[in-house]
Amino acid sequence: MQTLADYYGKTLKFDKLFSYCPGCGHGIVTRLVAEAIEGLGIREKTVSVVGIGCGGFSHHYMDIDAIEAMHGRSPAVAVGYKLGMPDNIVYTYQGDGDMSAIGLAELLHAANRGMPITCIMVNNSLFGMTGGQMSPTSLAGQVTATTGKGRDVHLHGFPLLVPELMRAMNGVAYLARETVVTPKTITKAAKSIRNAFACQIDKLGFSYVEVIVPCPTGLKKKVEDAYAWSANEALDYFKPQVFINKLEQSNEA
Amino acid sequence: MRETLFLKNTEAFAESMIRCGVRCHFAYPITPASDVMKYSSARLPQCGGRMVQMESELAVANALAGYACTGKLGATSTSGPGMSLMQETISFMAAGELPCIMLDAMRVGPGDGDIVGAQSNYHQATRGGGHGDYRVIVLAPSSGQEIADLMPHSVRLAYTYRTPVMFVVDGVTCQMTESTTFAEPHDYSADFDTAGWRFTGTKEHPKRFLLTGSYTHQQGYEMNERLRAKYAAIKENEQKWEEALVDDATVVVVGFGIHGRMCKDLVASFREKGKKVGYIRPITLWPFPDKAFAKLPPSVKSILVVEMNHGQMIDDVRLAVNGKAPVHFLGKTGGDIPMCTLADMSGMVGKLLDGE
Repeated sequence: MQTLADYYGKTLKFDKLFSYCPGCGHGIVTRLVAEAIEGLGIREKTVSVVGIGCGGFSHHYMDIDAIEAMHGRSPAVAVGYKLGMPDNIVYTYQGDGDMSAIGLAELLHAANRGMPITCIMVNNSLFGMTGGQMSPTSLAGQVTATTGKGRDVHLHGFPLLVPELMRAMNGVAYLARETVVTPKTITKAAKSIRNAFACQIDKLGFSYVEVIVPCPTGLKKKVEDAYAWSANEALDYFKPQVFINKLEQSNEA
Repeated sequence: MRETLFLKNTEAFAESMIRCGVRCHFAYPITPASDVMKYSSARLPQCGGRMVQMESELAVANALAGYACTGKLGATSTSGPGMSLMQETISFMAAGELPCIMLDAMRVGPGDGDIVGAQSNYHQATRGGGHGDYRVIVLAPSSGQEIADLMPHSVRLAYTYRTPVMFVVDGVTCQMTESTTFAEPHDYSADFDTAGWRFTGTKEHPKRFLLTGSYTHQQGYEMNERLRAKYAAIKENEQKWEEALVDDATVVVVGFGIHGRMCKDLVASFREKGKKVGYIRPITLWPFPDKAFAKLPPSVKSILVVEMNHGQMIDDVRLAVNGKAPVHFLGKTGGDIPMCTLADMSGMVGKLLDGE
């Protein structure tokens, strides 16, 4: 009888149920990352550097080495790791709180450094694990645990467009924003995540994929309503697109 | 090849770590530690390594941690305010049992302080400036030669105990230029097999993951108990100090770094006059050399602690002396002459000899 492992390979582990909340986008993104690693045949030389927050659990569901870094510092840890093991594949898997708030400096400088590492930001527009507080990517007017009357951009600043910050950096080889709110967008996200790893394998430079996902628990919405909110409200501001793809330029050359 | 070079002691730190096999030096500029990175940026590429200038001390410490995860030994160098920024990650590396070599070129004051030398970071270094019940091995050399001599030992400590090892050198000693003889280059880290713990991918071993927190209370308890046992072993086995003429002394002077170095002349001048003065110079600040004080002779009537701060190591001396003799303090920090002079020290010792 064919098993899930026969279909998915060894990277994704099936001996443990996800601890993510029902409907959480992390489940899909974790699977896409595992599929990319499996598909590219890099499982045995890949290490994941995960952040603080729900994304910190992602490596539990994969048969790869992992490092749990502190407070948004995952990109700096990944840079150090890559210097020690240049032929291994290293990626960070972080939420928007971890990566775009406390860890923004480390992320932007890692991007600008252009070292071939991969960073995945799972953006659910709030701090999930700590109880749904405002994150830098919370939308204008979004009600969170710390913006009870909605995010007031004059008080709290504007939702942060992270890949847009990196698009002028020459060290960036792959830069994309994707989402997993519909089956069609999941296919696109899978392609971008795979491309990001491919860029690292080809040593083309830094690669980054932001993935817009819903957090039904943090948003305090039913799963289908949370997906609808992400598909409409979040994507209206965070437009999915591929900003930079040096893989194509490399292939053309 | 053994070599004697006339270098600033910050440069002696860089030269000796390179000779001992360090091939990655992560750093961010800060006075008076910046000369280490200037030197290593030129010298490391000659040996197939590199100095990696990061965007902040936060990034420095975390890149150092990432590098250590591959089983390799990296180094960093900084000064007070930079060391404060690194504390989060030093706690992380202590918990993750990741080895590294660090230099804190100590300067004066809290906050941004001043760039003149001091020994103000004793508490931060020995107590753990980061959170949690952890310790870092702290070495306090008093010359460029001692930095070079301690470097192979520090690599051995870092790998044997899988822990960060910190050199604390006051800014005065760091800025001094003197002759240092370096031993034959040898990659001491290659003497240690890291295959049992490094995170190099599942081709070499079943899945490993670095967890410095805990998913269960039992896991957290086990991690902390493991660390407790390790620190107890270090405390028992790795105390290091220099002492002279303590056996019959009436007054014992205790100092580390530059003041420890001055004790030699201080004691010699009193002995010439027939005055029974001895000294103890702690070389490991953590573990503090309690054993040196456990065997103090009954002749000791006073102990004088001299520091370039407002009194930090004196806490450890008092604990080690445990009431056997009164412990006095002499300290100065900051200003154009940021330290006690030999005359200051002699005056105080004279008073203690006179029973004042």
